[in-house]
Amino acid sequence: MIDVVDLTVRYGVAVALHAVNLTVAEGEMVALIGPNGAGKSTLVNTLSGIQRPAGGTVSISGRLAHVPEGRQVFPDLTVDDNLRLGGWRIRNRDTGPIYEILPGLTPLRRRRAGRLSGGEQQMVAVGRALMARPEVLAVDELSLGLAPLVVADLVRHLRELNADHGLAVLLIEQNARLALDLCSRGYVLEAGRVVAAGTAAELAASPRVADAYLGVAG
Amino acid sequence: MREFLQYLITGVGSGCVFALVGSGLVVVHRVTRVVNFAQGSFAVIAAMTASTLLASGLPHGLAEASAVAVGAGAGLLVGLVAIGRPGTPPGASLIITLGLAVFAYAVEVLIWGDQPRSFAGVPGAVEFGGVRFQAHYLLIIGATAVVFAGTAALFARTDIGRALSACASNPYAARVVGIDIVRMGLLSFGIGGALGGLAGVLVTPIQLVTFDYDVTLIVGGFAAAVFGGLMRPLHTLVGGLLLGVAQSFVAGYGNAAYQMEVALVLLLAVMMRQAARAPAAEQEPA
Amino acid sequence: MARRAPAVAVGVGTLALPPLLSGSHLTVYILLGLAVMVTVGLSLLMGYAGQVSLGQASFYAIGGYTAGLLSVHSLPPVLGLLAAPLVSAAFAVVVGIPLLRLRGHHLAFATLAMQLILLSLVARADWAGGAIGLQGIPRLSVGGYEFADDISYAYLVWAAVVLTLLVARNIVASRPGRGLRALASGETAAAASGVPVGRYRLAVFALSAAFAGLAGGIYAFYLGYLAPGSFPVLLSIEYVVMAVVGGLGTLWGALVGATAIILLVQVLNTLGTQPGMPGYAPSVLSYAVYAVLLVLVVIFLPHGIVPAVRARLTRRASSGAV
Ligand SMILES: Nc1ncnc2c1ncn2[C@@H]1O[C@H](COP(=O)(O)OP(=O)(O)OP(=O)(O)O)[C@@H](O)[C@H]1O
Ligand SMILES: [Mg+2]
Repeated sequence: MIDVVDLTVRYGVAVALHAVNLTVAEGEMVALIGPNGAGKSTLVNTLSGIQRPAGGTVSISGRLAHVPEGRQVFPDLTVDDNLRLGGWRIRNRDTGPIYEILPGLTPLRRRRAGRLSGGEQQMVAVGRALMARPEVLAVDELSLGLAPLVVADLVRHLRELNADHGLAVLLIEQNARLALDLCSRGYVLEAGRVVAAGTAAELAASPRVADAYLGVAG
Repeated sequence: MREFLQYLITGVGSGCVFALVGSGLVVVHRVTRVVNFAQGSFAVIAAMTASTLLASGLPHGLAEASAVAVGAGAGLLVGLVAIGRPGTPPGASLIITLGLAVFAYAVEVLIWGDQPRSFAGVPGAVEFGGVRFQAHYLLIIGATAVVFAGTAALFARTDIGRALSACASNPYAARVVGIDIVRMGLLSFGIGGALGGLAGVLVTPIQLVTFDYDVTLIVGGFAAAVFGGLMRPLHTLVGGLLLGVAQSFVAGYGNAAYQMEVALVLLLAVMMRQAARAPAAEQEPA
Repeated sequence: MARRAPAVAVGVGTLALPPLLSGSHLTVYILLGLAVMVTVGLSLLMGYAGQVSLGQASFYAIGGYTAGLLSVHSLPPVLGLLAAPLVSAAFAVVVGIPLLRLRGHHLAFATLAMQLILLSLVARADWAGGAIGLQGIPRLSVGGYEFADDISYAYLVWAAVVLTLLVARNIVASRPGRGLRALASGETAAAASGVPVGRYRLAVFALSAAFAGLAGGIYAFYLGYLAPGSFPVLLSIEYVVMAVVGGLGTLWGALVGATAIILLVQVLNTLGTQPGMPGYAPSVLSYAVYAVLLVLVVIFLPHGIVPAVRARLTRRASSGAV
């Protein structure tokens, strides 16, 4: 699905990613965790073509959609128009199925997205990404600033999409526990380098991850 | 009463022209957040082009249409310079378009000289409610109505319109969903150029156009556009009509020399009112 | 001391220049000095207060008309010259209180509107000479000394430029100046750290008007004649070009920007008035040069020439050190 080989990305002279390797297989849910400024968003931005690689290769088979960090909706447009723009690349205008997958959006469809709550906006961002009929979804900071109940709801949706539609997910999270619970495999990115990788269980068990990300004392 | 009607019709005619220039500003601003100072120049360029084409024997209609196309091309060129380089902040783009408006002077004087130009519009006169006025006013009003209906439909009903609005609403998210914001910005400049060009070919039969007529047009157009916060086409139409009619009444019942002041005072009043309502932080930065 | 050397060299060099210049070159020298004064103010306004003014020539005009009107009504010319910056600054305060609530392109259009309104009011004011202009402005005299020839005006302008630069430099280095710099780096942050943003913006606006007003006053005595047509909108745009090209918020930038533009336009003017050139050549060339320089600098040297050169020099100096 996603195959990243020796990816290097620079902002001017600053190197944000150093020779990063990462794969996501079909139907797989993969976590990417790491501290602030590690380069997680840079990686997803490169996957979705917003950022240009300085070295290495990114190959993606199938369609990738991107839920960007920080609930990036189009504030002046209605929810329905936000969703439609998600289908811009593939000219998909049919928002009906999205309201079936995310019924919470139905009563909001005529509201302006900028006026919605954070959780509702995140739902719009997920729905908008689904409009691209993705085979793999890159979600940047699903839980950022959202109440646990809202996060649980979003997570349930991701699980369903994965189970029912075979959607592969690359989940970027600060909340490592959530990410490792949901995903089968994971990577730890620090200062632009992959410093650990493995199954969720392996990562959760490794002292380094437990220490820094799961808040388990020594 | 007859005078009133006469002034009203003339005012609506010139108001339509301001509204068209203003709508060009709105389209560009909505998509790029740039206020295009060269917007008046598109009108002048199109007016001059049309006069040359007509003088060289091209039939009416074809000449004006070609001139509007030239306006669109000029808009595209201005867009390329103003936003073609990714990361140019809107404030810098404003200064660039200001520079290009001055550059247009050089081009216009070089090609067409500094004498005023005019050409005939729709021939004949129409009588309505006891007043006779040039039939050309009907064309101005009709064309403006069609263009505004089209612009409103473009933004409200089409995917490309949504994508255009999305570019300024949230440029990052626009790129996330695969919208090429530079291309959309250029498209908006092209549309702006065509709208300005249309204003130019429509106004020339009722108003002599010199190369520096762009100042009058940009001030009037900006006054109209500010009415809609530089975002809403229909408010811009209302603003343009109010301005045109106010000017025409001032000229008719008062002193024709004060027409420009009407636009300027209205412009200042509208901006002050908006500034009083919105805290400074919400206005566009320089 | 070494840091002052370039300033002293330029100061002495320009002071020695007037006697070496012929008549038309002396005129350029004087007009250049006046342009520097206006540009210094505008550069502070744009660089420190972050505000575009497309109406800076109106302050120049107000200064000119103040000096001209007072002295044609047989007040001592020196009073007129002193009043010029004061009246301009007072006018800036009066219009600035409402106008400076606007930002960005709104303020740009508001200042443009201010100038257009002013021009048409002056053109209709018979007491100010109307559209024909104000004629018969006497030469400037201070005490018994009359500024009669161009050289004397050249020295007057030199002194006025030095005064402008010193005032501007001291203000930039003062405590309010540091507040201004905070203003430049972000208004919200400046307000949060206790800088009285509104008052400072108004003060810079008034200061820039005072500089322009003083320049306008000298211009009135030098030419002896003023008309609304001497202060077109394009003149305001020229000042913007000079300030932006040199580098906003730097005094050297204003100096370099104004000098570069004035000299370039002068050269092109000479070219454009050669026999065989069409009558419109000078104006076409000058429009083109303003436009092209402005656009190129904004795109390729967004901070202007002087900061770009400085950055290059420091880079060379620091790479030379290692
Ligand atoms: N547009 C940019 N220009 C310059 N540097 C950038 C840019 N975007 C990110 N960076 C830098 O690149 C590095 C990686 O940033 P990135 O946003 O990818 O981190 P992240 O892992 O997503 O962090 P967070 O958890 O805070 O979202 C950081 O040092 C950041 O400062
Ligand atoms: Mg991030």
